[in-house]
Amino acid sequence: MGMLRNITAGNPRSLVKPVAYTTLANLAGVLPFALLMEAARLIYEPFAHPGTALDTARLWWVCALMGVSLLILYAAEIPAYRSQFRNAYSAAAEGRSRLAEHLRKLPLGYLNKRDPGDLANMMMGDFTMIEHGISHLVPQMIGALVMPVLALAGLSLIDWRMALALFAALPAAAALVLLTTGFQRRLGAAHMRAKIDAGNRLQEYLNGIRVIKAYNLTGERFTKLERSFKELMRHSIRLEGKLGPIVLSAIAFVRAGLTLMIMVGVHLLLGGKLDVIVFVSFLIVGSRIFDPLTAALTGYAEFRYHEQAGERIVKLLEEPVMTGERQPPDRHEIRLNRVTFGYREKAVLKDVSLAIPVRSFTALVGPSGSGKSTVLRLIARFYDPDAGEVLLGGENVRSMEPEALLRKVSMVFQDVYLFQDTIANNIRFGRSGATMEEIVEAARQACCHEFIMKLPNGYDTLVGEGGSTLSGGEKQRISIARAMLKDAPIVLLDEATASLDPENEASIQMAIDRLVQGRTVIAIAHRLKTVRGADNIAVLSEGRIVEQGRHDDLLAAGGLYKRLWDLQRQASGWKISS
Amino acid sequence: MRNKTGVARLLEIAGERRGLLIVSGLLSALSAIVSLVPYASVYFILRELLEHAAEPAQADGAWMTRWGLIALLGLLGSLALTYAGGMASHVAAFRILYGLRIKLSAHIARLPLGWLNGTSTGAVKKTLEQNVEKVETFVAHQLPDLVHVAATTVLMISVMLTLNVWLALACILPILLAFGVQMRLMSGPGTQDNVKKYYDSLERLSGSAVQYVRGMPAVKVFGQTVHSFRKFYADMMHYRDYCVKYTDQFQNGFLIFKVVLVSFAAFVLPVGVFLLSSNPDSVAFASVLLFFLIMAPGISAPMFKIMYLTSTLRDIREGVERIDRILAEKPVPEPEHPQKPASFDIVFDQVGFSYRADATSGEALAGVSFAARQGEVTALVGPSGAGKSTVANLVPRFWDVSAGAIRIGGVDVREMAAADLMDTVAFVFQETFLFYDTIYNNIAVGRPDAAPEEVYAAARSAQCRDFIGKLPNGYDTRIGDGGVYLSGGEEQRIAVARAILKNAPILVLDEATAFADPENEYEMQLALGELMKRKTVIVIAHRLATIRDANLIVVLDEGRIAERGTHEELIAARGLYERMWRAYTDAGQWRLGADREEETASGHAAQHYGG
Repeated sequence: MGMLRNITAGNPRSLVKPVAYTTLANLAGVLPFALLMEAARLIYEPFAHPGTALDTARLWWVCALMGVSLLILYAAEIPAYRSQFRNAYSAAAEGRSRLAEHLRKLPLGYLNKRDPGDLANMMMGDFTMIEHGISHLVPQMIGALVMPVLALAGLSLIDWRMALALFAALPAAAALVLLTTGFQRRLGAAHMRAKIDAGNRLQEYLNGIRVIKAYNLTGERFTKLERSFKELMRHSIRLEGKLGPIVLSAIAFVRAGLTLMIMVGVHLLLGGKLDVIVFVSFLIVGSRIFDPLTAALTGYAEFRYHEQAGERIVKLLEEPVMTGERQPPDRHEIRLNRVTFGYREKAVLKDVSLAIPVRSFTALVGPSGSGKSTVLRLIARFYDPDAGEVLLGGENVRSMEPEALLRKVSMVFQDVYLFQDTIANNIRFGRSGATMEEIVEAARQACCHEFIMKLPNGYDTLVGEGGSTLSGGEKQRISIARAMLKDAPIVLLDEATASLDPENEASIQMAIDRLVQGRTVIAIAHRLKTVRGADNIAVLSEGRIVEQGRHDDLLAAGGLYKRLWDLQRQASGWKISS
Repeated sequence: MRNKTGVARLLEIAGERRGLLIVSGLLSALSAIVSLVPYASVYFILRELLEHAAEPAQADGAWMTRWGLIALLGLLGSLALTYAGGMASHVAAFRILYGLRIKLSAHIARLPLGWLNGTSTGAVKKTLEQNVEKVETFVAHQLPDLVHVAATTVLMISVMLTLNVWLALACILPILLAFGVQMRLMSGPGTQDNVKKYYDSLERLSGSAVQYVRGMPAVKVFGQTVHSFRKFYADMMHYRDYCVKYTDQFQNGFLIFKVVLVSFAAFVLPVGVFLLSSNPDSVAFASVLLFFLIMAPGISAPMFKIMYLTSTLRDIREGVERIDRILAEKPVPEPEHPQKPASFDIVFDQVGFSYRADATSGEALAGVSFAARQGEVTALVGPSGAGKSTVANLVPRFWDVSAGAIRIGGVDVREMAAADLMDTVAFVFQETFLFYDTIYNNIAVGRPDAAPEEVYAAARSAQCRDFIGKLPNGYDTRIGDGGVYLSGGEEQRIAVARAILKNAPILVLDEATAFADPENEYEMQLALGELMKRKTVIVIAHRLATIRDANLIVVLDEGRIAERGTHEELIAARGLYERMWRAYTDAGQWRLGADREEETASGHAAQHYGG
């Protein structure tokens, strides 16, 4: 059952129809076979019992029935074929959307730990395997067993000794396959790892092509990619080379039943204990009965391999999602209450407490790695703290529905991701259903309108994957436009004003000024002078708040803030010259 | 003669020597013949039984037993041959796969950067993974299977024709029928078109899956549910619907093929009964009829293996087309007689450039001429979209100019070998990219053969040492999946360390990268200052104060040079630069939320932005 759950990415019910119809089709497949045996019996009859004439009329009947059986077979195959593909593609589509939905509910912290290439691969490659499993592997494996099982039952009734001989080696084959399951899995898993690794390297290669070119790492000189391709080749060959003997030995065991049956048959026949026509029937069955079993055995190895793809999906689907159903309150003051948090074992925030009144402006400053970004992420509930609590309007955010909470928060972060879509739709991301007028207004407010109108198709211009055709500053203003449209009471800013050219900088500053009007603002600042008007500046160092207060007070205190302030004044006097 | 398509082209691209494939074909043919032995054994026993049907005890037991053993030997032999042939074909297939992937990824790196910007990486990735993988199925399984079927069919039909022509014809008929259906499936009207649509749909889905995953933070932040994430969901459903439609099209042909294959007896038997009824007492003919009935599955069973042949051939043809489409993209051309510059002045000579060949989108640069001298700093300034980054990107030939020329030490960059050019230019990008690798290796990218001491020294100069020291495994800490994630500023410093390590005579610096972290900013500036000595430096300037002392400031506006000169000259000229300088010095006074204070005080500050 676990295997079936895996191969269907957690939806074994999608197998019911394909398996049922395929079984039915295989049952129909027994008809021509039975007719063939009858024909052989009729041909033998006059030779076995001299004096009886060849029953030609009956033989013609068998011919006619054979024709009919083909039509039946054809009719029976139709629902099997249709249900196999329909269910396979539907299950994959449902599975994909379920996984996409699940990814959305996972804490961002979890997603950050994973390689995006890996996840994309799962979304595509693994589900292709699921499709194949549902459309072909499982129905065919189960369907293939119909004939042998029926034959075993029928033949046992005719002559149990011969039936026993025919299928005697079957347990040995089954034992061989089952005993080596662990070995097969290990081989399969190693291969799968190599495959995933190659996929990840490729993604990295494509994303980093500019650096790769700039540092002459192209093509075969990009040894890591090459190595991962080579490793994949090695593992693929090894998988074939080592799995082959197992499967082929199992096939040899299964098919050896024919020889065993012949031995027993000859012995019994010569001893006069076996009717010649019975022997003939067994010989005909024995020459063909193993084909479906062989197919099932080969299919099983493939099945186990495909199942591992499903298993990874099922595992990911079992990752705990963020919980909480309550709607966030309408009061928006924020409190961090003795919050401790670490991404892995290492604590990033230690016992941090911070009060952020409604409509206040709070700045977070401190050296890199001091935990500033983490504070923002905890407020937006990208993660839940390990200890302590984050309160919004006096209530723990843990109890709130993550999406509803996020509706209260706008974020302008340094790295902006634009979707491969039009500019208008990228802005509309802030509030789906916004009218074109609202979008243009938001763009105006965010100082985007002008540069958008200069683009070849204005608001309908497509921006590339990752938004690569816009400059950093332009992307950032688009993200401010999104936030404008979203109109949330809390605004989080991260490194928002770094890395911009002067004109951009002025535009962004204007845009940000408009965005923060009348809202609760928490900003991470690298250039301290931009936040010297903050209501409260919290200075972080190594995960703790070491000082907080207004600019003048902090300067007077002569602590870390003062030191950073002096350093920056020194740096801003710097000039590039040779 | 048209150009090679499908399999022929595939083998051509792969460049694999045919040796392994021939070996695998031979082994496969042998195994096909040997695999008929059990069927033949059964037939010989049946004939013996038929001849002694009236008196079974008279049958030759030893003879029959021997045939039983021969059947076993035949089985083992054919399995062994199958394995050997399979290994040969798999090794060939995986080598071809490897060759294809290397070839494609090497080619992609030689293409102008614009190509990957216009194509989603998901689609390219799909071509390199799935399209290429189909090749394996074909070369490793279907090619030997094809040989297997051919060998079996030829052998069986010749034997059958010598035994009885009419029965043989009755056997050939379904074979022709089955193949006829297969051919029709492959070349039927619009089939290739449908396959193309299928792959387009798959490619689109793949592209939006990559986007969905990479854009997840944005998706989360804006609380978009998966269903409202329209594109991905629509693509998933579209793909599903298309697949169902696509497979429905092949339903009848496929099922006819399948049913005909299991029905050889239905064709042979009527002919047999007809002949037998006119000659009912002939043991000889009865045994021939038995031979046909027993052996027929020997032909049809292997044919099931090529049941998916047409679909794979279609896949191959389509996949090869997609691979060819990438290979057909023109790489940045390499010079025939590469030259090396002796000095490192950079001269832009009437450079024109546009990102799209059709030039409808307008020129990104037009008539840009300036010289950046060795040992001096040349700054590029201008409003966003003015073409500063484009100028910088043209120096290392990420794109080729469409008019004019760029020369380094008098040598046109197009006359330099790509590797030499890249060794000449160090580039610090605005967007940093780190590999999923250790910190050490990420820095060593700058000069792979650098000694460890040099790598550490570069990291020290770029102010990386402090944060690297805090990482769990220091320089051996892995970045990304299964490792740590660095902050934006830390990533930028790694990028600077790379450039320091590279120590190339030309430095193209996107100034913004260097200034993310207040504590280290000052030291970093010192390091950069050290790095820039005696080099040709081109800086894309964002903060005008930093380039006040540049030897030459080139002011760009809408792809043209608006002004040039030193800071003092430009200020005196009272042009664009002077306006930008004023905007900049104002911005320097900006304080986040300064207006909000007024707003809370006066309550109507918003009117400031009323227009």
